[in-house]
Formats: sequence, structure tokens, C-alpha cells
Amino acid sequence: MSVPVYGYVALSGLLFLIGAIGVLVRRNVLVILMCVELMLNAANLALLAFGSAHQSLDGQVTVLMVMAVAAAEVAVGLALIVTLFRHQGATDVDEVSLLKG
Amino acid sequence: MSLTQAVFILLGGMAVLGALGMVTLRNLFHSALAMILALFSIAGIYVLLEAEFLAVVQVLVYVGAIAMLILFGIMLTRDIVGRASAVRNRQWPLALAVSAGLLAVLAVALVRAAWPLATYAPAQGGVADLGLALMGPYALPFEVASVLLLVAMVGALIIAREARE
Amino acid sequence: MLPTLSVLNLNGAVPQIAVAGAGMLIMLIDALFHRGSRRWAAYLALLGLAVALARVVESGASAETILDGALARDGLGMAFALVLIVAAALSVLVAMDYLRREEHERAEYYALILFATAGGLAMAMANDLVAVFIGLETLSISLYVLSAFFTGDAASREAALKYLLLGAFASAFFLYGIALLYGASGTTRLVEMGTAIRLAGTQADPLLWGGVALIIVGVGFKLALVPFHSWAPDVYQGAPTSVTAFMSVASKVAAFAALVRLLVVVLAPAAPLTSALLALLAVLTMTVGNILALAQDEVKRLLAYSSIAQAGYILVAAVAGEVGAAAVLFYLLGYAFTNLGAFAVVLAWSRRGEGRLPFSDLAGLGFRRPWTAAALSLFLLSLTGMPLTVGFVGKLYLFGAAVQAGWTWLAIVAVLNSVVSAFYYLRLVVIMYMREAEMPLALQRAGLALGVALAVCAAGVILLGLVPGVALDWARQAVAVVLS
Repeated sequence: MSVPVYGYVALSGLLFLIGAIGVLVRRNVLVILMCVELMLNAANLALLAFGSAHQSLDGQVTVLMVMAVAAAEVAVGLALIVTLFRHQGATDVDEVSLLKG
Repeated sequence: MSLTQAVFILLGGMAVLGALGMVTLRNLFHSALAMILALFSIAGIYVLLEAEFLAVVQVLVYVGAIAMLILFGIMLTRDIVGRASAVRNRQWPLALAVSAGLLAVLAVALVRAAWPLATYAPAQGGVADLGLALMGPYALPFEVASVLLLVAMVGALIIAREARE
Repeated sequence: MLPTLSVLNLNGAVPQIAVAGAGMLIMLIDALFHRGSRRWAAYLALLGLAVALARVVESGASAETILDGALARDGLGMAFALVLIVAAALSVLVAMDYLRREEHERAEYYALILFATAGGLAMAMANDLVAVFIGLETLSISLYVLSAFFTGDAASREAALKYLLLGAFASAFFLYGIALLYGASGTTRLVEMGTAIRLAGTQADPLLWGGVALIIVGVGFKLALVPFHSWAPDVYQGAPTSVTAFMSVASKVAAFAALVRLLVVVLAPAAPLTSALLALLAVLTMTVGNILALAQDEVKRLLAYSSIAQAGYILVAAVAGEVGAAAVLFYLLGYAFTNLGAFAVVLAWSRRGEGRLPFSDLAGLGFRRPWTAAALSLFLLSLTGMPLTVGFVGKLYLFGAAVQAGWTWLAIVAVLNSVVSAFYYLRLVVIMYMREAEMPLALQRAGLALGVALAVCAAGVILLGLVPGVALDWARQAVAVVLS
């Protein structure tokens, strides 16, 4: 007996949800960046699960692309965070006021 | 319960545990370590899905590069044992609403979906097919992704150079 | 069998290749001979964009794909590509004197504009959701870096970080939406996805609904639709003004191109759900954007809220699906000239080293700078939707499409919103001409490149407003040729 596809997708949905909650409730920008990475990972898991269900390679190729995107986002994000810290000494989002328009 | 199912439950449990730890731990460094646990477990699940190549890439890129970068970020911005970061902010009612909505969407999608194949069947092909796909039908996204990586490299350098000045 | 990349195959991707190639050439030349002025980089960027534009105009539309089905060469893609290239070229012209004045003249600036444009072009013409995603990320990450381009400006850095975090958050939603749509259809190619969805019947597949909802959230963030708009005012205000100008137009053109293609090619069977969702977002975006704009006292922030509201107007036609596609395209063409022109004036008038332009600085400029003030008045009238400008024709067409598709109440809400917007747009005109300056602004001399950009924008606004027929026909014919 193998694991049914919806088992993988359920796990991926749970991880995505945890990541999204983390982005919304945590104040530290580094933790927020990590939570976004987790969300991307959750999406990757869903892509692979669907890929095996449909017996196609599209899912795997997409996951490779997403990894490039994740690396790029983290590289630019960390450069910004380190610069901001050197000038202001704060990595808490409250001082960056994320959701205030 | 078969061995595959047992391994899936174990790895899935570790991934969820890591994710929860990442979101709830106050110490940034511990948070990052919990994230590494989650990413490692996900790599294991990729092996279960017979995407061995991606499992290797996952360990190399996420655990090897991205997690290390984040650890460097933590060390550069505060001392490791330094003051803890708050776990809750003022946005938690909003977070509750958004998460509930998201949970509803995902749950409905999960429960009511017409699953294409109820059980897992091995995907065709290995690394060779992946390579052919990247050079054939996915040549465009592949090339744009290389521009993306160039942008990230140039961008990180520009921003870091500003920091030095 | 080994895949082959023949020259013939790459022919249709020339716009993307020319733009990205020019960017790489700029980086290379700058690394090898980096001395003196960086004006050459701007000219090289314009050359690359000109090659891309010539290619788009000359090759014409045909409903066929290239690169193994990844790229669509249809009228829809080509037309949005054209608008994007024009906007990028104007942005380069606008930036040239500004960067030198602010002492941040760097070749990388133009390279990043080109890379962002290449990403946007991939989005506009892609027939594959993965390609749309990668194009979107290339555009977005270039914009994050450009927002932080000015040294020593804390507001700029902070805005860039906020933009990056919320943008990455939105990308995750977009990606999960892609995963669900892939699960529902078994392919990432848009046309095949549309076929699969039509065959399967859409009544009950929750994977499809979930995917659509998440993708709309992701696109909503990029377009700064309410309630996903919280990043826009800070980022628009904090970023260098030339970047704000580019960002406010390019990301809208690219995101609407992808959205329209998605609605027409893939989601047509799901139209009842998507239309209702988009109509709700359109009402919220127009109303909230306009109400918040009323309370501003600084031009850049005012234009940020104004461009939120403008996205709402465009969404009104997107609700109409296939019927509204031509209206979306025409309005975006006019919006590119209007908004870039307005930001160009802000950039010419703002104090050196300071991105802000408070209302009080505008007082008396109507007579001290008659030409530029007349141009700004023209752009503001066009944004309001006054007759004889492109804004009027564009809005007529946008709201007409909604009425035609049976969304009359939505069109009425949009018209009422336009009336509200007249208050804050015309207020600026009144301040320029009717109020005496308390402390006259020390004005910089506007350079030649900026003058050319302003003249092109003003000519575009007037010509498209007086004789819209040609452009309207072009838009209608372009969207009629859609790959499906």
C-alpha cells in the first residue's frame, strides 16, 4: 500500500497554512522570510504530488524553477535586511510597519 | 500499514513539527534550525514521490544555501543568544481571519476534489528526462530563470555596495 | 530524440532576447570600461527596446506558438508587449537626467529596467503558467532592487524590504494556485489547461476554484488591488521617482496581460465565479483608492492612491472577460503615456535629494513653468477622464464593455468614482494656477531627454484622445487573434 495523493496534498496544505500564519503574526523580518520559504516548499510538495498523480514531468520541472526563484528572493531579501540593520539596527517588522498603508 | 506509509507519517510529522517550531520559537536561531528540520523532512518526502533528483537539489539549495544564508543573516543582524523576538503581533485577529479563510478553501478543495488517480503511480523518467524537458518544452522558463538569477546577483551586489559606502 | 533549438525556433522570441541581451551587454561594457558618464547605457537600452519594438510591429499576429508551445505569438501577447516596450523606453528617457541630478547615475539601473521588461514580456506572451510565474518573479525582483537603488535613503530601503516581503508572500499564493490548477488539469500549458477544464466541466471541481482564488490573490497583490494594496503607497513614495514611474505602469501592463489571457483562454468556463470575484475587488479598489487619495497632501503619494484606483477602473472591463479585453489594452496604452508623464513632471519639480513634492511646492508653478504645468494639467485631466483626452475615450470604452457584458451597476459605480476622483486631480491644477507661492521652489533645469519624454507623453494623450479610431481598431483586431 502506498500513500494516496491526497495525503501529500493535505500535508502540503497544512505546511502552507502554518507558513501563512507565520508571515502574518511574526514581527521579525528574518522569520517572515523563512515562513515564505516554507510556503514555497509546501507549493512544491503539492506540485510533485500532482505530477505523480498525472504521471507527468511538469511538476518536477516547475519545482526546479521555484527553487531558483526562492534562492533569488532570499539573496536580495537578506542583502536588504543586513543593510537596513546596519543603518537602523532593527529587524522587527513593527518598525518596518508591514501592513500599514 | 505499509513501510511507505509509516515513513510518510514519520517524515510528514517531522515536517509539521519543524514548521510549527519555526513559527512559534522565540529564539531566532532555534527558529532557523526548526526550518532546516522541516526542509530536510520535505526532501525525504520527495524521495517517497520518486523525485530523487529534486530531493538532492532540495538539500543542496534549501538546506545548503538558503538556510545557511539565513543563518548568516541572523548572525550579522544580532547576536545569537540575544533578545528573543515576539511571537505575536497586533495583527493576530487579521491573521486568524485570513488563515480561517485559507483553511476553508484548502479543506474544501481536499475533501471534494475528484482525485485523478487515487493512489500514487511512479512518474516516468529520471534526471535525463528532466534535462530534456528543460531544453525542450521548458526552454523559455529555463532561460528566463537564468535572467532572474542574474538580476538577483546584480541586485544583492548593488544593495550590499550601498551598505559599505 | 534530442530536442533542437533552431534559429527559426528562436525567431519569435526576439523581443525578449533583444531586451535581455541589451541588459547583459550593458553590464559587460560597464564592467570592462567603466569610466565617466553612463549616458551610453541609456542609449544602448533604448536601442535594445527599439529592436524589440520593431520586431513586435513587423512580425504581426498569428495564432501560433513557438518554443514548443511555451510562447504565444498571438495578437493579445504582441499588443501588450508593444505597450510594455513603449512604457520601458519612456521610463529610460525619464530617468536619464534624474539619475545624474541625484548623483546615482549607474549602468546597472538601465540593465535592471531591461531585465524587468524582459520578465514582463515573458508574462505577456507566455502560454505556460510556469513561464508566467518566472516572468513575474523576474519583473518583481528587478523592481525590489530598483526600489532600493538610491544610497543612504532609509525610506527607500525600508520601502524595498516591505515590497519584497509582501511580494514574496503574494508569489507563494500565486504558486500554490498554479499547483492546484495543475492538479485540476494535469498540464501547465494555458491552452491545454483551458481545454481540460472545458472537457471536465467546472461545476464541482474544488481544485479549480481554489486555484483560481489563490491566483487572483497573488495577482491582486501585484496589481495593488484593495485589500492587497497596503504596500503600494509606501513603496511608491519611498522608491526613486523614476522607478515609481516605471513600476506604476510596467507591472500593471504585465499583470493585466497575464490576467486577461488567463480569463479568456483558461477560465472562460468558470466566468460566473471569476467575474463576481473581480467585480467585488473592482468596487473595493476604486472606492478605497479614491477615498484615501482625497486625504493626501503630497503629490507622489496622491499618485500612488490614484494608480490604485486606476487599476480598479481597468478591472471593471476585465470583469467582462473577452468583451473587455480590447478596452483593457487601449486603456493601458493611454495610461502608460498619462501616468509616466505625470511622474515625469513630479520628478522634474521635486527638490534635489528629496523624492517628495508637497502640494505647497506646486503653488504658482502654473506661471513660472508654463509648459510643464500645462503638461501636468493635461495628464491630470486625462486621469480624471475629461473629454478630448485619452482618459475619456479609455474610460468610455472600459465602462461600455462592462455594460455590454451586463454589469451595468458596476459601470455606474465606476462613473461615480470618476466624479469623486475629479476633486483631488483638479485640486492640483487649481493650486498650480490660483495660489501664490509662499516660498518659491528653486527649480532645476529639465534636461533634453526629460523634455522629449514629456512631449511624447503629451502627444500620446492628445492624439489618442482626439483620433482614437486607429488605436481602437488596432486593439480590437489584436485581441481578436488569441491562441486557444
